Amino acid sequence: MLSFVLRRLAVAIPTLVLVSMLVFGLQKLLPGDPVLAMAGEDRDPQVIEQLRERYGFNDPVPVQYVHWAERVLQGDLGTSLRTHQTVTTLLAEKLPPTIELAVLSMLIALAIGIPTGILSAVRKGTWTDHLANVVALSGLSIPHFWLGILLILLFSVTLHWLPAVGYVPFGGDPAANLVAMIMPSVVVGGGLAAALMRHTRSAMLGVLKSDYVRTARAKGLLSPAVILRHAFRNALFPIVTMSTLLFGELLGGAVLTEQVFTIPGFGKLIVDAVFNRDYAVVQGVVLCVAAAFLLLNLIADVVYMLINPRLRRPR
Amino acid sequence: MSADPSVLPEDVVLAVEGLSIGFGGSPVNLVDGVSLTVRRGRTLAVVGESGCGKSITSLALMGLLPHPPARIGHQSARFQGIDPLTLGQRAFADLRGDRLAMIFQEPMTSLNPVFTVGDQITEVVLRHKKVGRSEALARAVKILNQVRIPAAEQRLSAYPHELSGGMRQRVMIAMALVNGPDLLIADEPTTALDVTIQAQILSLIEDLQATTGTAMLLITHDLGVVAETAHDVAVMYAGRIVESGPVEALFADPQHPYTVGLMGAMPQMGRREGRLLSIPGSVPAPALFPAGCRFATRCPFADDACRRSVPPATVVTPGHSVSCWKAPLEEHIVR
Ligand SMILES: Nc1ncnc2c1ncn2[C@@H]1O[C@H](COP(=O)(O)OP(=O)(O)O)[C@@H](O)[C@H]1O
Ligand code: SF4
Ligand SMILES: [Mg+2]
Repeated sequence: MLSFVLRRLAVAIPTLVLVSMLVFGLQKLLPGDPVLAMAGEDRDPQVIEQLRERYGFNDPVPVQYVHWAERVLQGDLGTSLRTHQTVTTLLAEKLPPTIELAVLSMLIALAIGIPTGILSAVRKGTWTDHLANVVALSGLSIPHFWLGILLILLFSVTLHWLPAVGYVPFGGDPAANLVAMIMPSVVVGGGLAAALMRHTRSAMLGVLKSDYVRTARAKGLLSPAVILRHAFRNALFPIVTMSTLLFGELLGGAVLTEQVFTIPGFGKLIVDAVFNRDYAVVQGVVLCVAAAFLLLNLIADVVYMLINPRLRRPR
Repeated sequence: MSADPSVLPEDVVLAVEGLSIGFGGSPVNLVDGVSLTVRRGRTLAVVGESGCGKSITSLALMGLLPHPPARIGHQSARFQGIDPLTLGQRAFADLRGDRLAMIFQEPMTSLNPVFTVGDQITEVVLRHKKVGRSEALARAVKILNQVRIPAAEQRLSAYPHELSGGMRQRVMIAMALVNGPDLLIADEPTTALDVTIQAQILSLIEDLQATTGTAMLLITHDLGVVAETAHDVAVMYAGRIVESGPVEALFADPQHPYTVGLMGAMPQMGRREGRLLSIPGSVPAPALFPAGCRFATRCPFADDACRRSVPPATVVTPGHSVSCWKAPLEEHIVR
């Protein structure tokens, strides 16, 4: 097991290096000059030249990359060209709300998507199945931000049950934080639940047709054991894959939802950084997301090993 | 068959009369009026070409054929004093894996890949018997030894993918027999296996049947398997039993033109598909079945009466009966 994890890490590290090169290289190809953006209105050539020297923009690109990578390895992701905060500070500040939103949304998605997916596969072709499918399709086709606005109008403006905006850090006031996160998590989680439901349903439909499920019935097992023990355990593999992908996407920030509910998360940080050509921030964010993605995939691989004996003990 | 006076009622483990199975909107019964009797300590083989309805018949008898979409009808059925085909889901499930067990054609996919052999065998013990885990494990080891799996105790922790096809089928047989069923239904248990393994599994089934006395319904498309393993045989064509009786009687004096054709094409032991070389043509699609004898489209003796009305079962000798207007056949072959 440990050797498996180490082998996976050995693959993950070159991937991360490659990602960092791509990120760094692509930044250089993007149109627009950050120094011009910094130099302000008058664009004094001397100031511009000084800035170029100071930030190392006159070095060849590979040299710039190596310098940057060295600093990254020491935990220095650079400084935002705009706010002059260190990128590490920015990440530490913006990451928690996004992670919280991702975790809460994922929990909601799993809690709704998997049971309804199982139910609708078991009751395939009945009204339960049709209803679940219609709800899921609507969930997939309604834009998150629009649903968010509707919920705000209903629960905040009309009913006054929940706060419309105003993110409170979890550390500050956990209860207020959770209350503020209800609507955004439901909005994002609901959409993911729909995707998970569809996936669970089709995985279960495949497995329920399998010979070993027929064997389970031939043993006289009752439906709960057949469905949950024999079928669901095997349907779990594609569900783990799907959940990993969805969660990874969430870590990149649910941009519009964060905007609608004014959550100071990753989504806004990325958008602002890209528009302002804030290289250091964009690089830091993408690197951070890539690392999180690789970590997630590692976790998913370990989960696979745990639930799939064919991987754990290959012949 | 049930008309045979030599069969004592207490010897009959399963008797089903007039079993019919159709699907969905189609009015044709794919299985039509099938009657079978399986006797204590004996093996009844149901033999017929692929697609003739053997599997859906056995699944229906196990309560494993979902209905709807299937339509299952029968005149009567008797298994250990009850009619299983009228049981509710829960009561039928109580029989399955306990008094009534089944093994399938596909050993590679019939075991659950995520559970160990030990878990899968003890599961069926714990489901039906009031015993603890250690007793269930002991029974699992015992039955694995009986199906001649080497190092049975170590195999308990093996996963299906760590076993060969033959070993997996042995595990399936062990799982079916661990609770000492009254009837074992085996649907082409050797068809998917290599030739040498086929012979081993067949002789294992034969030996187990002889030692345990379990009645067996053996489904096969292979007359070689019938000759090797069965005591009684029912020949199925297009969903109907066309001839049935003790193996010796039927092999010595086949009466139905289809049976005669099958014998002419009796495959070598181990051949995967028994092609019916001596019977021209092929089974028509169910929608094109003749109103009368379903074999009429291929039968050299067919006439208008055959096409019009279904031939009733007639007794040739006690226990041996045939459904053909032209039986006894000798009178028609010798002009
Ligand atoms: N669920 C189903 N719906 C419709 N037709 C079916 C279904 N299952 C089996 N059949 C049909 O029933 C016939 C008998 O099938 P089967 O019992 O598997 O044959 P055998 O086991 O003798 O090869 C085949 O023609 C098959 O196409
Ligand atoms: S009833 Fe007629 S068609 Fe059918 S098998 Fe006998 S002779 Fe042939
Ligand atoms: Mg079959």
